[in-house]
Amino acid sequence: MSRAKRGRTSGMSRRALVGSMLSTGLLAGCGRIDESAPGAAMLDLTDRLTRRAERLLLSGRPLVRELSSAQISATFPTNGTVLPKGDGYQRLLEGEFRDWRLRVDGLVAQPLALSLAELRAMPARTQITMHNCDEGWSAVGQWTGVQLSRVLDRCAPRLNARYVVFHCMDVQEADGAPYYESIDLLDAVHPQTILAYGLNGAALTVGHGAPLRLRVELQIGYKNAKYVDRIELVERLSAIGRGRGGWWEDFDRAPWYAGQ
Amino acid sequence: MPRAAAPDAMIATLRHPWPVRLWHWVNAVGITLSLLTGCWIFNVHPRLYWGEDGHAGMPAVLSLEAVDAAAKPPRFELQVGGSRWDVTPLMGVIDVEGSDQYTLVGAYPKDYQFGASRTWHFLAAWMLVGGWLTYGLYLIGSGRLRRMWWPGGGGARAASYNVVQQLAYLALFALLIPTLILSGLTLSNSVTAAHPELFALWGGRQSARTVHFGAAATLAFFVAVHLYRVLVCGFFPLMRSMVTGRRPAAGGEGT
Repeated sequence: MSRAKRGRTSGMSRRALVGSMLSTGLLAGCGRIDESAPGAAMLDLTDRLTRRAERLLLSGRPLVRELSSAQISATFPTNGTVLPKGDGYQRLLEGEFRDWRLRVDGLVAQPLALSLAELRAMPARTQITMHNCDEGWSAVGQWTGVQLSRVLDRCAPRLNARYVVFHCMDVQEADGAPYYESIDLLDAVHPQTILAYGLNGAALTVGHGAPLRLRVELQIGYKNAKYVDRIELVERLSAIGRGRGGWWEDFDRAPWYAGQ
Repeated sequence: MPRAAAPDAMIATLRHPWPVRLWHWVNAVGITLSLLTGCWIFNVHPRLYWGEDGHAGMPAVLSLEAVDAAAKPPRFELQVGGSRWDVTPLMGVIDVEGSDQYTLVGAYPKDYQFGASRTWHFLAAWMLVGGWLTYGLYLIGSGRLRRMWWPGGGGARAASYNVVQQLAYLALFALLIPTLILSGLTLSNSVTAAHPELFALWGGRQSARTVHFGAAATLAFFVAVHLYRVLVCGFFPLMRSMVTGRRPAAGGEGT
């Protein structure tokens, strides 16, 4: 998703109107159909139905397809935030992230604060996968990082932990809220769910989320949070952000489970 | 005349049995919603590619491009396979936070959220796939497939569809709709994790996306022809026949 480009769609006006007429006739005047009670109920029902079907499909715990090095895209587009604002990030960047720590807390028996060097010292996984943005485009990249399951093993999650929340260092201009995302433990322990610090054999660039981003290959673009600096284990998502489990989910009613 | 609805009389007066009418109206809602939300999704990235990957900066088999973005309004070209057409007069404009954005078809309405448009698209997909599967079972189970759509295999009632219509319906039902469903499923990470062989069917994920939009455009053309024929052949009698099932007095065959 392009956070900058798409932005808010309020204040829209129409002048020359071929296509808009179609949607105007159908939906304008109905107000926000997705915020009306029946509209929201239909959307929630659809997301639940789709998610159930996806869970059924994934019951054999398959790996997503991994591609060959010949298939890596010549360029990998950057999208959304390409440079987090603020002195804090700038200082970390100038110090080559030596002072950066990944905090792991919430419902854990052993809170962690891991440096980039510590993460790199853990067993690494490299995978060539396709990134699919909900806008429609795809790019193939080779990601290197540590499996999230290994970090979870070290922090010893409590029995009531159900979701893993990724807090990010970039604040969204549209509403001033920091980016965040969340996945459930089932996707968190998937072998291809990694905390990536490398892309195509080099250190992750700022545009791609340096120093650390999530790669959750079972799901699409916006779930793969960039600039992660805190992982929180929680029992429910309602208390985080506006409660829908992610920034795009809160702001744009994107589906929380995004394997479609 | 309560006994008049004997089987023979029913055949004479009831042109559309209730499963046909139900499927028709599920399709009417589902296809409208899927085409509209499909336009919203297309507008966010109006470029189609062939192969596995594809993104801005890579060659596109079809694209909608602002060639003179500084002009007011900008000049737009539709590029298909290297040929270009100026489509500026066809463009609608939406003003997003002061920065104009332009779309060719189906701009999402005021205050709308893109994130939800994919869920609306899936709602339409569930309706259409559910209807297609159920109706497929009915077609085969009831013998309607053989009677009505199978060229040369019809009974007395097949006379109302000519061979071209029979082949068109058969191709739509058995070729175009499965193509739409399978190419759409290939765009899902969950589906392709379980069934990576789907990529091979199209020659890559972006090929599947291109096929999906192409098949949708074909369906839209089919719907346009259908609506045109409904208007030409008599809107009110045909609407009545598709609501009540009663045969129109004259004309209106096989739209």
